[in-house]
Amino acid sequence: MRAKLALLCFFLLASQARADARISEIKIGLDGDRVLTTFTLRDAFNHRLLERVESGLPTPILYRFELARDRKRWWDEKLKENTLEVVAMYDAVARAYTVHYKLDDKLIESRTVRELKALEEAMTTVENLPVFSLAGLPDDWRLLVKVQAEMGSRTVLSFIPVTINTDWKESSKFHAPKTP
Amino acid sequence: MDLREKILRHRKDHRLIGAGLVALLLLFTALFYLAQRGRDLPAALVTNRVLLFVLWYVNVVLILIVVFVLLRNLFKLLVERRHRVLGSTFKFKLVATYIGLSLIPVLLLFAIATELLQGSIDRWFNTPVAPVLERGNAVAQALYDRIERTNLRDASRVLSEIRGFDLDAPGERPRLTRRMQELLQEMDLDLLAVYEGQEFIHAILNSQSGIPDLPEPDRSFLEQAAREGRSTAVETPAGTNGSLLMAAVSSPPAGGARPARPPVVVVAGSLLDPVLSEQREKLVEDYQAYRQLQVQKDDLRASHLLLFGMVTLLILLASSWTGLYLARRVTVPIQALAEGTRLISGGDLGHRVDVEADDELGVLVDSFNRMTQELESNEKLLEASNRELTTSNQRLGEERALIAAVLENVAAGVVSIDSSGRIFTCNGAALNMLRQREGDVVGRPFEEAWSDVERSRLAAVVKEADLGPGDRRESKEVHLILGGEWKTFEAKVTGLRDSQGQVQGRVLVLEDLTELIKAQQLAAWHEAARRIAHEIKNPLTPIRLSAERLLRKSQQGDPGLGKAIEEGVEIIVREVVTLQGMVDEFSRYARMPRPRPAAVDLPKLVSETVHLYRNLKPGVEVEGEVDAGLSTVKIDGEQVRRALINLLDNAVEATEAPGRVSVAAHAVNGHLEILVADTGRGIPPESKEKLFLPYYSTKGRGTGLGLAIVHRIVTDHQGSIRVEDNAPRGTVFTVELPI
Repeated sequence: MRAKLALLCFFLLASQARADARISEIKIGLDGDRVLTTFTLRDAFNHRLLERVESGLPTPILYRFELARDRKRWWDEKLKENTLEVVAMYDAVARAYTVHYKLDDKLIESRTVRELKALEEAMTTVENLPVFSLAGLPDDWRLLVKVQAEMGSRTVLSFIPVTINTDWKESSKFHAPKTP
Repeated sequence: MDLREKILRHRKDHRLIGAGLVALLLLFTALFYLAQRGRDLPAALVTNRVLLFVLWYVNVVLILIVVFVLLRNLFKLLVERRHRVLGSTFKFKLVATYIGLSLIPVLLLFAIATELLQGSIDRWFNTPVAPVLERGNAVAQALYDRIERTNLRDASRVLSEIRGFDLDAPGERPRLTRRMQELLQEMDLDLLAVYEGQEFIHAILNSQSGIPDLPEPDRSFLEQAAREGRSTAVETPAGTNGSLLMAAVSSPPAGGARPARPPVVVVAGSLLDPVLSEQREKLVEDYQAYRQLQVQKDDLRASHLLLFGMVTLLILLASSWTGLYLARRVTVPIQALAEGTRLISGGDLGHRVDVEADDELGVLVDSFNRMTQELESNEKLLEASNRELTTSNQRLGEERALIAAVLENVAAGVVSIDSSGRIFTCNGAALNMLRQREGDVVGRPFEEAWSDVERSRLAAVVKEADLGPGDRRESKEVHLILGGEWKTFEAKVTGLRDSQGQVQGRVLVLEDLTELIKAQQLAAWHEAARRIAHEIKNPLTPIRLSAERLLRKSQQGDPGLGKAIEEGVEIIVREVVTLQGMVDEFSRYARMPRPRPAAVDLPKLVSETVHLYRNLKPGVEVEGEVDAGLSTVKIDGEQVRRALINLLDNAVEATEAPGRVSVAAHAVNGHLEILVADTGRGIPPESKEKLFLPYYSTKGRGTGLGLAIVHRIVTDHQGSIRVEDNAPRGTVFTVELPI
């Protein structure tokens, strides 16, 4: 009982801050049983993020994905979840930005850009990212993908750390492809 | 027994507490060590998000624990106060003091230290370092920008120069090489390279630059140049220490012969001096490090604050816990003592305080337990004594009832008087004798109860009784006129003494002698009549015989009648004189006057009286002695002189030579006491009772009125007379007269 109470307090105190950034409309494409996700994180590249990038510190944006089953008049059922971590690092000597992409904690791509605009695009635009596999899911289920972006953390009252998150954005509903 | 029970059972164990304190000390040491090491850790690690959150959650947990501990104890104290538990107010004050003493300084220290820390962090970034670094970085970047611009311009020129060359024609290559060599030397470049899209066409290096091999530009560098028309990049070629600043420009292929072909990209590069390059890199890196710190300033502050807060909370937790523990060590025994006092005052003497305490409180608890044990044993003794006392009281009550019954049934009157002179009991016989009711006497002072004229003599006897040391009993004859009837009582007053011999009251025993005296008087009168008849008959016989002789002589005409008449008349006259003397004596006794007290010189009276009997009887000494303080007394001198003469007359007569008769006068308790003692033959006990009756004599002659007269004189003076045996022989008459 005491452990449960402590856990409840823990979660209540795990503060989160709402970001000004938002995720644009999520486009879903299917490649076989793979779900390809395309969206853009808007208004994320603010002064704070830019300063951090320019200082040369690793600056991550963490995208959380959830594959859910849509149920009428009931809560959605979470089927799968995944993360994409986009980490930017600035090399001031070479004057180049290196961007690493980790899907489910596995490095899938590294990119070097030299312009800020290219960096912003590289960090905030996700195109046709295969995030989930629909293998084994019934084709009559209505599915949807939810995305949330976490853009680091900041402190409240100088000592309380809070994470900066966008709202969860939902895609339009879709069905798993019919197996032949 | 599981671990929880073991911990609960041993949670007050001193060893456990000591181990806890040691663990806390080790924790503080570890934290201090980490804080010291934290200075050397990179800022990125210190401000790591995970670390921040871990610290934050540790702080939250600690805050919750501290709040829980404080609130739990506060709630318990409030509940105890609400239920008015003994000692709760003291406990509340003590705990509040302990917690206040630990909370206030720790929180104050935390507040001041936090402010100092924040101020210090702010000052780090307000120093002149920032502008210096910014300007240095700007200079370095400006140098790069300038070189890049020059390279871009040179690359554009090279691009325009080679436009006339057919890059696909192998015959053109020597001419292209020469021209590029000329341009390289003219523009003072270190690298000139030509690409078609990503495809390498031709390149020449400045032999003076020291670049051993042709560097391969990054793919994105060429792509960007092809896509956007220009791009720049910095590389460190293998085998050199300098930075190679490259600029690329592109243009569609000349002549538009094959529009689908990729654009031509010319790369112009200048190798920066290694020293300058190194200085620039260092400058940029320092500036970046500074910017990183600046960016992480908030996180750095947060991590320090959280670490500091964690230490503060640990101290707070330790101090609060210690304070509560110390308060409990004091209050628990006191509370137990207070509860014990309450129980014991309620009668539970078997209660013992069972609290572990090994300091002065332990001594107090032990003393308390000893005290209650003694109280319990004393109570048991008291109960036993009480039972014995009750039994004894019952026995005494029974005895008192028995005594009361006996007293009620004895003929003698018994009156008990307490030490204050108040009549305590008075039996029925006494009430009958004194003709009073119980309510008139019991509970009242005897002088008040017997204040009337009739009974005041009795009160005087009781008051004047000598209750000196020893079992002394004083007996007096008291004559009272009660209801017009003459009563004679023998009053015996005895002191009531406690175990120490102190007089706590007195007992008056009354015996009614009235009837006895009447009987004695009757017998005395009977004896007196017999003796009078005898005394009268003695002279009458010679008278009758003389008269009969004279008659006979006369009838016979005896010639000796004349002589016989002479002799007969002489006898008759003599016997008549005897009878006359006897009658005169009786008359004097009967006509004895009331005493008339007046101031009398007692030594003189005694001396004159004694003088009459000195040398009267050879071998018998007669002496008189009067106390020096007795000079003048108020008595009837003639009557007392007569009494003394009668007593001395008897004493001298009863004393054979050699013998001694003495008269001594003393003042005793306000009375005049006259002792007449002799060393004569003494008086038999049976004669002592009748000695003062009229006409009683042991001598066989005389009228027997001498001692009766003495008794009459003494009683007329409100005094008393008694006769006792003298030691070693003889008799003592004691006369007591009030003066």
